[in-house]
Amino acid sequence: MIEKESSRGTEKKGENMISVENLSHYYTQNQVFAVKNVSFQVEKGEIFGFLGPSGAGKSTTQGVLTGLLPLQQGRVRVAGHDLSHPKRTMFNKIGVSFEQSNVYGKLTARENLDFYAKLFDVPTMKTMDLLEMVGLDKVADKKAGTFSKGMKHRLTFVRSMINKPEMWFLDEPTTGLDPAIGSQIKDIIRQENEKGATVFLTTHNMQVADELCDRVAFIIDGEIKLIDSPRNLKLQFGQQMVVVDHLVQGQRKTEQFSLIMDEDKTRLNQLIQTGQIQMMHTKEATLEEIFIKVTGRGLE
Amino acid sequence: MAEKTFQKLWITFLKDLKLSFNGIYFYIEVGMAVIFTLVMVFVVPENFDSSQTFHVVLDAEPAYQSFLRNLFESEDLGQIQFHDDRHALHQAMEADRSSVGVVLSMDAQGLQYNLVLQGYESPRMRTLLKTLIEGELLSQTPGWSGTTDTRVLEPDSERLTDRAHVLPIYLTVNVGLMGLFIIAAYIFLDKDEGVIKAFAVAPVHIWQYLASKLCIMLIIGLGSSLLVVFALVGRQAHYGLLLGATVAFNLFGSTLGLFIASFFDTMVKAMGALYLAVMVLMIASVSYFMPSFNPLWIRIFPSYPMLFSFRELLLSNGNAWYVLQNIGFFLILSGVLFGLSVHRFKRSITV
Ligand SMILES: Nc1ncnc2c1ncn2[C@@H]1O[C@H](COP(=O)(O)OP(=O)(O)OP(=O)(O)O)[C@@H](O)[C@H]1O
Ligand SMILES: [Mg+2]
Repeated sequence: MIEKESSRGTEKKGENMISVENLSHYYTQNQVFAVKNVSFQVEKGEIFGFLGPSGAGKSTTQGVLTGLLPLQQGRVRVAGHDLSHPKRTMFNKIGVSFEQSNVYGKLTARENLDFYAKLFDVPTMKTMDLLEMVGLDKVADKKAGTFSKGMKHRLTFVRSMINKPEMWFLDEPTTGLDPAIGSQIKDIIRQENEKGATVFLTTHNMQVADELCDRVAFIIDGEIKLIDSPRNLKLQFGQQMVVVDHLVQGQRKTEQFSLIMDEDKTRLNQLIQTGQIQMMHTKEATLEEIFIKVTGRGLE
Repeated sequence: MAEKTFQKLWITFLKDLKLSFNGIYFYIEVGMAVIFTLVMVFVVPENFDSSQTFHVVLDAEPAYQSFLRNLFESEDLGQIQFHDDRHALHQAMEADRSSVGVVLSMDAQGLQYNLVLQGYESPRMRTLLKTLIEGELLSQTPGWSGTTDTRVLEPDSERLTDRAHVLPIYLTVNVGLMGLFIIAAYIFLDKDEGVIKAFAVAPVHIWQYLASKLCIMLIIGLGSSLLVVFALVGRQAHYGLLLGATVAFNLFGSTLGLFIASFFDTMVKAMGALYLAVMVLMIASVSYFMPSFNPLWIRIFPSYPMLFSFRELLLSNGNAWYVLQNIGFFLILSGVLFGLSVHRFKRSITV
């Protein structure tokens, strides 16, 4: 289904890194199902996006998959481990980054990572290399408690890759970061994926999902509405649009035309023949627009 | 494998130690130990009553009188004033409400004594006076037959100085029971910061996380117990037993704190239960101050064996077997509580 060149070429395709069958989860505090009868598979080497608006159940799903929340209903396998009989050693293969950053405020960035690295039984990455990757090398010896939100988030993010995880869970990895750092994070995710990491990425940022993910699942109110690759979704649901910049009595005007609707096609034809066109290009529907179309709901 | 297991515990412990040096609880505990020691050394006299005035009426033949007078004066009883009759003694005692009096009289049965008290004296104080008079004065007196009706509340001939007498209370509260609050606070701090989740997705066990906290509490407990005991009684205590008792009772307090904390998700919610537990646990201290009051039901509160174990190990000929038994018992109890806490936290700590 997914064709991608990477170092994992030797591994057989179709092997599942995550397999979820009929997973439901409720919080006893409010007796409400946050995740309802969800099933999906994530293949080895894939970047799988879990998209949905706030409160959809994304973090809850990640919580169950990472063993932080108990498995109540359904069957879940992660990195070859059945979560109904979890083993602590499975975390040598897993990395988890959290939506809310959680580092020891009273330890420095370096101490945070040094401590964490020692908890693993597998080779780990060098602390300074990690800090450098996200631009925290200059504040390595500052207490994390003095960091800004974004800095703590970056520290939480690099900590999750310290054991070079085969299965990497990322909950909102770019949220709240400025665009430059956000794109740095995206690059890191891409690189690690190329080295063979399978990524489960939770976000409500469609652009990030569009750029990174091989496949995305749309989740709303605890239910998965659809799973497919961004490209297929665009072909299936996206209307091709043509954006035209033209001059009307000396003033520049920008207009969009659908290539499906007859009315728009006629109007576009007229413009090409009689108007003063300066620039013209086609535009794909965004994943966000498709999401709204499929689910009838926005992402914020 | 086992080596790796303990290595991870050690690493976690070092991290927790660093954190506790950076946090407030460590300093609260050390501060309490220092303040307690300073108060005991500089404010509280070795024995509370040493500056008390002793009013004495000697109602005996003149020959005998001078003998008794000499005897009283030779003993180190603080200030002594002799009076001619009971009336004068009462007046003197009314003028000085902190003083005590004794009337000695000689009759056909021999020497008799009457204590004259202000009325507020503790049972302990009364026993002390009796022991003083009977033990140190009258036993040396010819004609003393020891027939006076005396109820001996503490059969030990040996007793602690008043300063040392307070020590078991301090040790029980600070070494044993304060741990309930502090360890719970540490757990909830980690929960708040979310770091517990990061720990939960690393290849470590929840018991390692909890055991590391126990070790921190042990360090704090041992430090403050040894410091205070050494400062107050010097080499008089049995340090081997002190070490054992501190470890066992401290573990008990910490594991009980863990167990209680496992039922709650914030410190605020857990506070009531922790406070109640400490209060209930301390009920037996009543018995410590009123030794005659020790019904069976009060002896089952953990503070009873804790207090009396600490007391025994401060006595130079204390009952070591009693202390050892309690150390064993509390270690087993701690083990059980720890097992239960691990079991409970496994499901609830990251939820
Ligand atoms: N600890 C909790 N106790 C009770 N209910 C919870 C808890 N955590 C989440 N929920 C509820 O479960 C539902 C799903 O929440 P979840 O955090 O999984 O959403 P999400 O998709 O990650 O949202 P966001 O984009 O805001 O992170 C929500 O209705 C939320 O209110
Ligand atoms: Mg979330």
